[in-house]
Amino acid sequence: MPGYILLEIRRTFRDASFVVFGIGMPVLMYLLFTNIGSGDGDSAEWKTASMVGMAAYGALGASLGTGMGVAADKTAGWLRQLRVTPLAPSRVVTGRAVSGSATVLPAIAAVLAAGAFVNGVRLDAWQWAALTVLLWAGALPFTLLGLGNGYRLGPQAMGVVNTACLMGLAVIGGLWFPLSAFPGWLASIAAYTPAHRFADLGWAVSHGSAPGLGTVSVLGAWLLAFGSYAVVSYRRSARTV
Amino acid sequence: MTQTAPSAVRFHGVVKTFGTVRALDRIDLDIRRGETVALLGRNGAGKSTTIGLLLGLDEPDAGEVRLFGQAPERAVRAGLAGAMLQEGQPIPRVTVRELVAFVGSTYPRPMPAAEALALAGLTEFADRRVDRLSGGQAQRVRFAVAIAGAPALLVLDEPTAALDVEARRAFWDAMRAYAARGNTVLFSTHYMEEADDNADRIVVVDQGRVVADGPGERIKRAAGGSLVSFDLAGGPSAGLAALPGVVAVEVRGDRARLRTDDPDATVVELARLGAVRGLEVAPASLEDAFLSLTSTVTPTSTATSVRESETV
Repeated sequence: MPGYILLEIRRTFRDASFVVFGIGMPVLMYLLFTNIGSGDGDSAEWKTASMVGMAAYGALGASLGTGMGVAADKTAGWLRQLRVTPLAPSRVVTGRAVSGSATVLPAIAAVLAAGAFVNGVRLDAWQWAALTVLLWAGALPFTLLGLGNGYRLGPQAMGVVNTACLMGLAVIGGLWFPLSAFPGWLASIAAYTPAHRFADLGWAVSHGSAPGLGTVSVLGAWLLAFGSYAVVSYRRSARTV
Repeated sequence: MTQTAPSAVRFHGVVKTFGTVRALDRIDLDIRRGETVALLGRNGAGKSTTIGLLLGLDEPDAGEVRLFGQAPERAVRAGLAGAMLQEGQPIPRVTVRELVAFVGSTYPRPMPAAEALALAGLTEFADRRVDRLSGGQAQRVRFAVAIAGAPALLVLDEPTAALDVEARRAFWDAMRAYAARGNTVLFSTHYMEEADDNADRIVVVDQGRVVADGPGERIKRAAGGSLVSFDLAGGPSAGLAALPGVVAVEVRGDRARLRTDDPDATVVELARLGAVRGLEVAPASLEDAFLSLTSTVTPTSTATSVRESETV
């Protein structure tokens, strides 16, 4: 399985569109959002919050993007070819989840680096480390959501669904704009969306505290939901793949 | 020892339906270790379904499939099979060597990647990306992937479909080299000639059934060895099917074409009847033999229907 994980990681990083849009976009958006028209006093606070939000957004994009690769592989017959190798199907799915998770890391690191070196965000060393690890681990539900979509859908439908998932989850989760800018009813729904709780892992750390139990359990529930979705989708596709 | 060793492939009464279509209708097949077998049939005859069941990609509705005495999925997990499937497109963003080495690494006793590349004729393209190769080169990559794990059974589903003449020859050379190492090879094709040239044994499938099974020579004989044709010149076509050696009769316009397994006897009898205008004797082409084997009507009913159409 390590061979498979390595192969898929390599393939992802050779994808120019992944590198440009998956890593470059969140960084660009972060720098734009925090340096254009923000002359007010709490800009240091905003620069940190937005850094976490955009790192989460980058992680979200990269993890959902794993599904795009799966959908393309399904069409190319690669999943079918893997099924006639000794590699067990469960290992193929697990391997893809791990390789997907690994490709999430650079997107997070790039936004955090932009925060530290361009926007001068100051955090303790443990905060940087915890931020990276939590955002990385917290992206797993979205990798599974992406895999579920990828096993279920063709590449074209996948492009639309993925973009919808990414935009929808990012906006309603408050990754681009804070929930305080939302109307009250929307804000209370948004608080239970996976992307919001995902970013909350990071916001808690950036405020110097551990993530709340509520956040961890809501995220855990989403992990379970998306995990089941991925398994069901894979089983369904296995019949036709 | 060889007596007790299980067959490489065994199908027993295998049935597979898709919706209302009976793709496989009680298939029986036994392939010994080391054999090179061609699965010959037209599109939709059941070749790919057979291969899918063989590799555990699908389950039969009835009957049993065994690979080296095990359930196909287990045999595949154990690294006993390698396959070149239909409709495989090049996998993007990976080099030839990376891909072949990776697939090999999933098997318990792979051959060195360099050896697989050499066998497939890919050594000079080893560091190219798979999605930047020509169609023929990509086909070789799929072959290299199939043999990378040095599987005891190599399965090739219409392997030469996209190849030109020269590439075909190179491909079959590579296949035979792999078979010569004592491996079992099963390939599907809809070209009788390919099957005859490259397999020890041909299994002809049609409408989900095995309609003929044996060495190429025997298949050709079974299909009627020669074709005797002559002008009817207004003479009757009735009774031609009863001539010595004749197994099938076909009338096109004024010309009768008799498929016969004893052309000498047929011609002598025609001469006696004086039906020799424009007489020609030709060995049945392989494609003819194939068509005759897989035609939906039996030889006698062909003759009957011809006579009927004459009288109408």
